[in-house]
Amino acid sequence: MRARLMAVAFAVCAAVCVLALPASAQDDSGGNSVLRIGWAQDPTSINPFVGLDEEAYTVWAINWDLLVNFSPDDLSPAPGIAESWDVSEDRKTITFHLDPEAKWSDGKPITSADVKWSLEVLGSEGTLFTNYTSNITSIQTPDPETVIIKTRRPDARIIGGIFVYILPKHVWGKVPIKELTGSYKPELPLVGSGPYVATEYDRGQILRMERNPNFRGEAPAFDEVQFIRYGNDDAVQRALTLGEIDIVAEVEAGSFERLGEEPDIETVQSPSPAYTELSFNLCPERYCPDAEFNPAVQDRTVRQAIAYGIDRDRLNAIGALGTSFPGHGILPPFYRSFYEVPEQDYPYDPDLANQMLDDAGWVMGDDGFRTKDGEELSFDLYVRSEAPSDIQYAKLIAEMTREIGVEFNVQVVSVDKLTELTIRKVDGKAAPEFDTFIWGWGGDPYDPSFLLSLFLTSEIGGLSDSFYANPEYDRLFREQSGIFDVEQRKEIIQQMVAITQRDVPYVVLSYDPNLQAYRSDRLANVTLSCPADEGDVFCEQVSYQPLLSLAPAAGAASNDEGGQSAGLAVVAALIFGIGGYLLGARVSRRRENEPLELPE
Amino acid sequence: MSGRWLAGKVAASLLTLVFVIIFNFFLFRVMGDPTTQLARLPQATPKELEQLKADYGLDKPLGGQFVDYVGDTLTLDLGISQRSRETVWTEIKDAIPWTLLLVGVGTLLATLIGSWMGVMAATRRGKRADDGLLGFSLFTYAAPEYWIGIILILVFAVAFPIFPAGQQMTPGVEFSSWWAQFTDVLDHLILPATAMTLMLLGQYFLIMRSSMVDVLTEDFVTVKRATGLPWDRVVRSHAVPNALLPLVTLAAIQFGAVAGGAITIETIFSWPGLGELSFNAIQSKDFPVLQGTFLVFSFGVILANLLADCLYFYLDPRVQSR
Amino acid sequence: MSGAELTSPVDLPPLPEARDAADRGVGELLFGTWRGRLGLGLLGLFTFVAIFGDLLAPYDPNASSLDVLASPSWSHPLGTTENGADVFSQLLVGTRVSMIVGFAAALISAVLGSAVGLASGYFGGWTDRILDSLENWFLVIPTLPLMIVLARLLNPSLIVLIAVIGLTSWAGTGRIVRAQVFTLRERAFVERARALGASDMYIIKTHILPNTLPLIFANTVLIVAVAILSEAALSFLGLGDPTKISWGSMLENAFEAGAPSAGAWWYVVPPGLCITILVLAVAVLGYLFEEYVNPRLREASG
Repeated sequence: MRARLMAVAFAVCAAVCVLALPASAQDDSGGNSVLRIGWAQDPTSINPFVGLDEEAYTVWAINWDLLVNFSPDDLSPAPGIAESWDVSEDRKTITFHLDPEAKWSDGKPITSADVKWSLEVLGSEGTLFTNYTSNITSIQTPDPETVIIKTRRPDARIIGGIFVYILPKHVWGKVPIKELTGSYKPELPLVGSGPYVATEYDRGQILRMERNPNFRGEAPAFDEVQFIRYGNDDAVQRALTLGEIDIVAEVEAGSFERLGEEPDIETVQSPSPAYTELSFNLCPERYCPDAEFNPAVQDRTVRQAIAYGIDRDRLNAIGALGTSFPGHGILPPFYRSFYEVPEQDYPYDPDLANQMLDDAGWVMGDDGFRTKDGEELSFDLYVRSEAPSDIQYAKLIAEMTREIGVEFNVQVVSVDKLTELTIRKVDGKAAPEFDTFIWGWGGDPYDPSFLLSLFLTSEIGGLSDSFYANPEYDRLFREQSGIFDVEQRKEIIQQMVAITQRDVPYVVLSYDPNLQAYRSDRLANVTLSCPADEGDVFCEQVSYQPLLSLAPAAGAASNDEGGQSAGLAVVAALIFGIGGYLLGARVSRRRENEPLELPE
Repeated sequence: MSGRWLAGKVAASLLTLVFVIIFNFFLFRVMGDPTTQLARLPQATPKELEQLKADYGLDKPLGGQFVDYVGDTLTLDLGISQRSRETVWTEIKDAIPWTLLLVGVGTLLATLIGSWMGVMAATRRGKRADDGLLGFSLFTYAAPEYWIGIILILVFAVAFPIFPAGQQMTPGVEFSSWWAQFTDVLDHLILPATAMTLMLLGQYFLIMRSSMVDVLTEDFVTVKRATGLPWDRVVRSHAVPNALLPLVTLAAIQFGAVAGGAITIETIFSWPGLGELSFNAIQSKDFPVLQGTFLVFSFGVILANLLADCLYFYLDPRVQSR
Repeated sequence: MSGAELTSPVDLPPLPEARDAADRGVGELLFGTWRGRLGLGLLGLFTFVAIFGDLLAPYDPNASSLDVLASPSWSHPLGTTENGADVFSQLLVGTRVSMIVGFAAALISAVLGSAVGLASGYFGGWTDRILDSLENWFLVIPTLPLMIVLARLLNPSLIVLIAVIGLTSWAGTGRIVRAQVFTLRERAFVERARALGASDMYIIKTHILPNTLPLIFANTVLIVAVAILSEAALSFLGLGDPTKISWGSMLENAFEAGAPSAGAWWYVVPPGLCITILVLAVAVLGYLFEEYVNPRLREASG
């Protein structure tokens, strides 16, 4: 009895003590308004010369400008470091005018020297930034406010297509290149030109960005942006549900719908410049004498029939749980300026597919798969084990094409293995060893050159993984790259899309989404952008503009944690309770002073 | 004599360590082709690959590479993480204290609670309390620790969200005092440490219970009991100390399991220790880091074994007289 | 519990009920005690499910549907996964991988461990010294990190899993076999055979091995439990065979998909519970065998 009393008394005392600990124990950055964004992993490096991941881009895009930024409305070129630009008559000289008042966050002026250094050095040494400046022959800086870029031949990418951040030369230029591309860690705060600059980076924990005092635009509403790392997606989502963070930058497809059903949480599904495709091995004998594949894959009718035999809406609904967008050709609708739904679009039509294959002489065999002249429509279909939704796609495709007598043997392999199969070389020549595979690509925000370049003959042995070769396509690519008029350029790009729709080097299965979630009770002025009304919450990795208007919701509870957690009190109560019990038991036993019964 | 025994143990541990270092070299340089690991970009040109090889000293003959490797390892130059471009040692150095904290608290609690439960069960042999404790510890002993961890999250962080279940302290907070920081870390430590404790508990319980049963049936206990000492005093001051010895042995053997548990439990709770570092390295195929964490885990376990041997040496008169 | 430490060289003293185990036969031990019956019954059940799992499964375990992370219902007794697949069907089908890896890896470990133990114990001298330090090394090295490193360097597949687990968990067996062989070697019948000019191979085959087999067997059963746990841990860390469903990979998928924070206990609890029960069943049998074998070992060494 005494023991029990003692236990209760101790437990209550302990719990009260813990709960009563000064609630101000945790001081929250002095009343600043903080935007908290959660992510599973943080950037491996915020040095743009070596950083590789999307998280790094997210930080860079807030910290720095490009020479030409993107409009958050339609992603078209917008003033960046350059306020304006003129194109010469022959379209080979472009003059950019900088704002003479513009300053870096450390107060030094932003000049043409910064632009020149960044394009030349980051544009050639930065892992993710090469290739953008390949057509540039010279960069002249007659005065601090003017940059003149000359190109070998007209290159439309110069405006809106050079995705190379402009870094302050007075900081980065002092570091030897060998170090920049090695283990160099930039000093914090990062000197930048965007609305916030990174001020603290505690790897594995938190990346803090604070207002840039010299930002040229309107001052952002939040004083501070914090990116908080949680290690895994499960923990990020929990943090959002508990209100520890305001935005989840990347939500898993599997939990997207469920999160949207939580109170005070809104989910956003926005388009991105990336897609997932079914790729065919089209390598011609000329370029790949030692390639290994089922030759039937190079029969265009077969590929077209396969395209008709795949229900892309179903892939999206089941394979991606409705979170992606069904694919319509090699150019995602994200490229608003250049996109149009292709005329030849292969709506799901297994009857038509069967008809086409029948007409082409592919005879249904006893095993349910078609043959012709000893060739069977049976293909290996490789998918990466690292991409569960791709595996779902592959299984569904194999199921669907069974209806049209085409067999896909799904082979789940590691990224390394698939890379090995696609980049295999024999005697210095490409020798891909696959029939088909599912993988994906992502392009730049505005200029579609990168995605279009994947089908160039010159990319065989380089980036091309369909090994498509078509001189007409190559010619159109060259032509469009020199056209500055958007409408004109779009017309030619549409011709290119039409060619790939006809020849089907890829069946683009779905356009990948950006999935985000945010707390509607914490954020005000949320306007979806990039592109307007359809895009994401803060235009991740593309434009910092939407961040400027994002504000704390009126009446939102402050982010203060308050006192100690209830759990700690419970544990303290437990420990002290047990301690009290033992103590009490001992005291009472002494009093009674009689030996306990000896167990048998 | 005793000095020689100790010296022998130290020498054996060193030998094991040398083995680990050699093994590590051959595993990563010979089994996996280091150039494919180095070149993250599949489109790297042969020239770039040559440059990479030269940068990493891979163009030298294997013997030369080995000498370099041993020298680097001894000076804690474990290479550069392919993922973060930090030196591997920096990453490991930052992670070690957190792993030690988790593992230390877990082991301490498991030893205390496990052996207390063992004593309880042994003195109540055959009764319902004994059966209950036995069943409970067999269950925790067979259950995967990461599963227990997930269940803890489900119950205490989702169904009744009273504990944080991620990271080692609240991110983005500036603490006004060391006490505030201490309680915050403690708060975050509770769930992972509980998982670690539950993982280790069963073995300590079983060993304590059976050695207590053995001790309690020995003659000297009967004699003490006959002299009229109260039962609980007999247990506390005579039986328990005698049953402690196997506990030390067990602790040494457990260190291997602890290392495994650190990997999975830290992953579940995003606890920023060596385990999570290894997990991230697995996921991003960051071989230098994986190699480094394996080395450190092995070193830690070897060292712990040696310490346990020394402890055993002081506790057990039989060893000393040898 | 994740390492190879279930078979600790500290022989866990027998549980009270089976103290007199040695006095009984194996059959009686297995069928006569409730522990034996329980262990056998559970193992039988799991074996049955492992063989006929895909026939028993009400759904294709990979078939996704729009019913995502649905809680248990009549049509899905254990709810659905993040892809809308049936958890119960995955659980049934996943049994096979766990059992195959568990038993195959234990077999490799047994063969390797006995071979090394026999050679080391029988030949003694330098062979013993080298093999013994190898054993020592494998005993000391943390097993799971070693498995992880090996599995990561190779491409994940069922064979790799089996090989990696088998190759890293044989040292305990080797150690025990070695001790047994040491004592057997000095016994009169072996001395006699040697005096009569019998070859080493012959002596090992007719005298040593038969007297070591029960011990090897008992030990191997315990290693099965370790191997099952190791497979689950590796799969959970994403190093399993990506094409196969196993309990470990179910837990991995559940965790990656945020099932814990969704409160989807039906997706998280069953696979872990199955691992635990199977491991318990195997371990109970293993300890029974060990208790049966161990007294003779003590007798022989004493």
